[in-house]
Amino acid sequence: MKKSNLSTLKRVFKYLKKHWALVLLSVLFALGSVLITLYIPIRIGNAIDLIIEAGKVDFDKMMPILFEIGILALCVALLQWVMNNINNKITYNVTMDVRNDAFDKIEGLPLKFVDSHQYGEIVSKMISDVDQFTDGLLMGFTQFFTGVATIIGTLCFMLYLSPIITIVVVVFTPLSLLIASFISKSTFKLFKKQSEKRGNETSLVDEAIGNLKVVKVFSQEDEMQQKFELADEELKKVSIKAIFFSSLVNPTTRFVNALVYAGVALVGAFTVMNVIPIGALSIGALATFLSYANQYAKPFNEISGVVTELQNALACASRVFDLIDEDEEIKDNENALVLNKPNGDVDLCDVAFSYSPDKDLIKGLNLSVKGGMRVAIVGPTGCGKTTLINLLMRFYDVNSGSISVDGTDIRDITRHSLRHSYGMVLQETWLQGGTIRDNIKMGKPEATDEEVIQAAKECHAHSFIKRLPLGYDTIVSDESNSLSQGQKQLLCISRIMLALPEMLILDEATSSIDTRTELKIQESFLKLMKGRTSFVVAHRLSTIREADVILVMNKGNIVEMGNHNELINKKGFYWELYNSQFSTTE
Amino acid sequence: MTKLLKYMKGYTKECILSPFFKMLEAFFELLVPLVVANIIDVGIGKTPSYIVYACLIMAGLGAIGLTCTMFAQYFAAKASVGFVSKIKSALFSHITSLSYTEIDKLGTATLITRMSSDANQVQSGVNLTLRLFMRSPIIVFGAMIMAFTVSPTPAVVFTVTIPLLALVVFGIMCGTIPLYKGVQGKVDGVLNTARENLTGIRVIRAFGLEESEKTKFHKKTLDLNKAQNFVGRISAIMNPATYAIVNIAIAVLIYTGALEVNSGNLTQGEVIALYNYMSQILIELVKLASLIITMTKSLACANRIQNVFEIKSSQEVIECKDGDKKYSVQFKNAYLKYESSPEYSLENIDFSALPGETIGIIGGTGSGKSSLINMIGRFYDASSGEVFVNGKNVKSYDPAKLREMLGIVPQRAVLFKGTIRDNMKWGDENATDEEILKAIEIAQAKDVLDSKEEGLDFLIEQGGKNLSGGQRQRFTIARALVGKPEIIILDDSSSALDYLTDSKLRGAIASIDYKPTVFIVSQRTASIQHADKIIVLDDGKIVGIGKHKELLKDCVVYSEIYNSQFTNGGEN
Repeated sequence: MKKSNLSTLKRVFKYLKKHWALVLLSVLFALGSVLITLYIPIRIGNAIDLIIEAGKVDFDKMMPILFEIGILALCVALLQWVMNNINNKITYNVTMDVRNDAFDKIEGLPLKFVDSHQYGEIVSKMISDVDQFTDGLLMGFTQFFTGVATIIGTLCFMLYLSPIITIVVVVFTPLSLLIASFISKSTFKLFKKQSEKRGNETSLVDEAIGNLKVVKVFSQEDEMQQKFELADEELKKVSIKAIFFSSLVNPTTRFVNALVYAGVALVGAFTVMNVIPIGALSIGALATFLSYANQYAKPFNEISGVVTELQNALACASRVFDLIDEDEEIKDNENALVLNKPNGDVDLCDVAFSYSPDKDLIKGLNLSVKGGMRVAIVGPTGCGKTTLINLLMRFYDVNSGSISVDGTDIRDITRHSLRHSYGMVLQETWLQGGTIRDNIKMGKPEATDEEVIQAAKECHAHSFIKRLPLGYDTIVSDESNSLSQGQKQLLCISRIMLALPEMLILDEATSSIDTRTELKIQESFLKLMKGRTSFVVAHRLSTIREADVILVMNKGNIVEMGNHNELINKKGFYWELYNSQFSTTE
Repeated sequence: MTKLLKYMKGYTKECILSPFFKMLEAFFELLVPLVVANIIDVGIGKTPSYIVYACLIMAGLGAIGLTCTMFAQYFAAKASVGFVSKIKSALFSHITSLSYTEIDKLGTATLITRMSSDANQVQSGVNLTLRLFMRSPIIVFGAMIMAFTVSPTPAVVFTVTIPLLALVVFGIMCGTIPLYKGVQGKVDGVLNTARENLTGIRVIRAFGLEESEKTKFHKKTLDLNKAQNFVGRISAIMNPATYAIVNIAIAVLIYTGALEVNSGNLTQGEVIALYNYMSQILIELVKLASLIITMTKSLACANRIQNVFEIKSSQEVIECKDGDKKYSVQFKNAYLKYESSPEYSLENIDFSALPGETIGIIGGTGSGKSSLINMIGRFYDASSGEVFVNGKNVKSYDPAKLREMLGIVPQRAVLFKGTIRDNMKWGDENATDEEILKAIEIAQAKDVLDSKEEGLDFLIEQGGKNLSGGQRQRFTIARALVGKPEIIILDDSSSALDYLTDSKLRGAIASIDYKPTVFIVSQRTASIQHADKIIVLDDGKIVGIGKHKELLKDCVVYSEIYNSQFTNGGEN
């Protein structure tokens, strides 16, 4: 635990480095405000010493002291306020930096990582973990420096006033520290466990409520409720313990403080009476001491509070850093080619690929596509069609063999230019939160409104868009139910129509669109595909009959290749697939 | 918030005991300055033995205080965790009781936040409140009362200081609540962007939008940062302001105390006691201030949870007149209008299905096919008109009973974390392995199952990520078949299946021995042309009902759809 905590802490400091000037300023202000805060009780003690008994109060001397106290108090207030603001700024900036780093990381993560992790988990790292981590940091900032400074300052002032009483105070100090560290050690484990259990519960909630409609279809509300309550019961047990133990820090230090206070009163009173011969003390100074004794415990309370908070914060921080430390996609070669208006020759040479090492998926795949050719990929569910697309787009890298575009291995082409050369429409539509216009413009942000409308018209999306109350300014999101699946798909196609990339990948691009509309789009599609290398995955054989090459895939391999007529005449796998479409035709 | 308090039930004892023990602790703490005053006035110079005695009393007070707080902290932890656990449980159950209409309106992301981070915030708020909210006022007012017992004239300073402090503390609190709400809204925005970038990762990379997405995200975090700093500046006033007020008050207190001492009404030790009481107020206020910040955040969260509770499901079980018993499913002039939309999604739907019949529903994108299907299971209520299942209005059914009769395969193939068996049992919790295997066979998922070593014990990950889209879809079909439902509804459920599998599936469903009523929603005429009755929908209206051949002749829309799929490439 120690070592990993230390390295996490180092990372935190790296983020702080950027704000070193503010940190320095904050420390200076903290010192200033602490010093004055500690000086005020001395002046109060001086004032009290001027009150001796009836008729013996020296008002002339007292008044300036009292005014001084007031002015000093105002100074402290100002220093503290500025310091608080600086601390806020530091922590909020660090939060922002960490979140931005985490997000930037997401944009560079290999698909493999994202596909194998739960979205909710990643998002919760970015939001709630970062929040908890900065809350801890904020507390740490405001209280750690002031705490340490107060302790040291108090000791100095006390030594100056009376070394004997100071010894009494110092003797109790280790006790306070010991208790604080014991408690925080045991709470750290509990907090970690709590964080785990909470994670379980959150992912259950994410699943059940995220798919609430399905839950309702099967009337599984009660079963889900039971599962939830089971998970919550576990969380509850750990939480009660964690919260209880962590909340013991304050009372125990307060108890130690009470002992210190009593000790100071005891020794102090005898010093005032000169029973203890070393160093005389006035009653006012005793009052100052007692007030110190009170303040002396407070920073211990706070520092130990910081310790528990920091433990929790560190646990959260290390999870965030784990995400930030994930390996990114291998960087593009330094002299990687920027693909510009490629001709569209695509060659696959002895390609092998699998998602997990123990299971082969694609093996020895060879394919040569000339620029402008239309390639249809057909085959039963799970035959590897989508995987092929993952490889073409370089979402995943081949295990062996190579894929090249215009004769260059795609690993020697910048990812950005490679992907940008492809226009991709997937079966699973995805809309970004924003207006319909923004969504269509995704691939070509500089497009004019006329171009957007033109693209939408070609995809026959314009007619439904203009019927929406806000037209192209209608806000949509992936989760919104205001558009049907087919309408969403039309928007995804419009994006490609607008961007006009050199090569196309259409993975079941029209699966949710009714065939009448599809027929109408077909024309635009044909126009689009003309002269562009295109890979088309479809179940509707009618949409791919005119392809130049049809790849018939099964179990990760190409089992047949050729054009429609050739394959039909072969009476092989394709022939069987093709017939099944019309097997029920009378 | 107030309405959430009922979930405190069962923790009444803890809620009373925790503050009670805190009060005891506070009470003992308030005695300390008096003891100190006595040490100075009685002990010093007169009876030294009294000093030792008094200091032992102080240490003793500390020990009792510690014992009291340990109880208090325990009760507070138990009550706050228990309270929030109850809220979460009730909230979960409330959310799952909402109908589709409300789910559409709220969005699932919001609901998840309410269940997780909002609930956590409420928990820490309640915990701190139980621990400190009683203690702080008691110390503050207790100190004032004690001051009056020491000497009434200087104690007047307390009566001015305390309201002034309250004004600062509560003023800042009221000022920041709405601001914190705004901050939370911005946090939601950041969250949504992050989530969106994960779900849309392929599209974003395909368009090479990584950099512009980063810029967008950075702008959102900067916005949040600015809002946080703004609220921070205001709440940062609280501690310094209270500190200044208390210290100025101490100066005034010493002056008035000195006047009293000068005229012989007060001793030096008593002035120190007054000074100590004022200091105690400051220490307590610092705690109160941080408590109030936590409380304001928690209150905002509690209110948002409360708002979810206030959204009632728009559906209730209502006794309605029965329809014709002879039909399995019957629609009578049914209309449907979604809350978010100005126009009717379905108009004047009127048809009936006999038991054992297969009904095909076909139509273009957005023609209302899914809406129609959703009305059978009463996921949406008819805006007007009626829907009957087995002759009984769907509104008269217990929703669980109604849905038990239906085997629905939704468009989106969603499976849940757990074994294949667990998932299959959603259809019928008492299903045997044999029954499950039978359903899997009908759903054409036997080969998928066979390819998994663990068989039915194969662990499906959250969201079914370790299965392909087609595999998921077949399992969702099997899931619907497990309970041997009287009515099977396939809502465009074969979109991810190839034609071969699709036709095998249809054949297998047609040969199910107990003859269920089957609804097949599709865009492929091939999928439905053998149905006993085909309903053709166009723009929310039925434009044709009949058999394949009749419709080809009489229904323009149907023949257009058919031709779009079967022309330009001869049928074999």
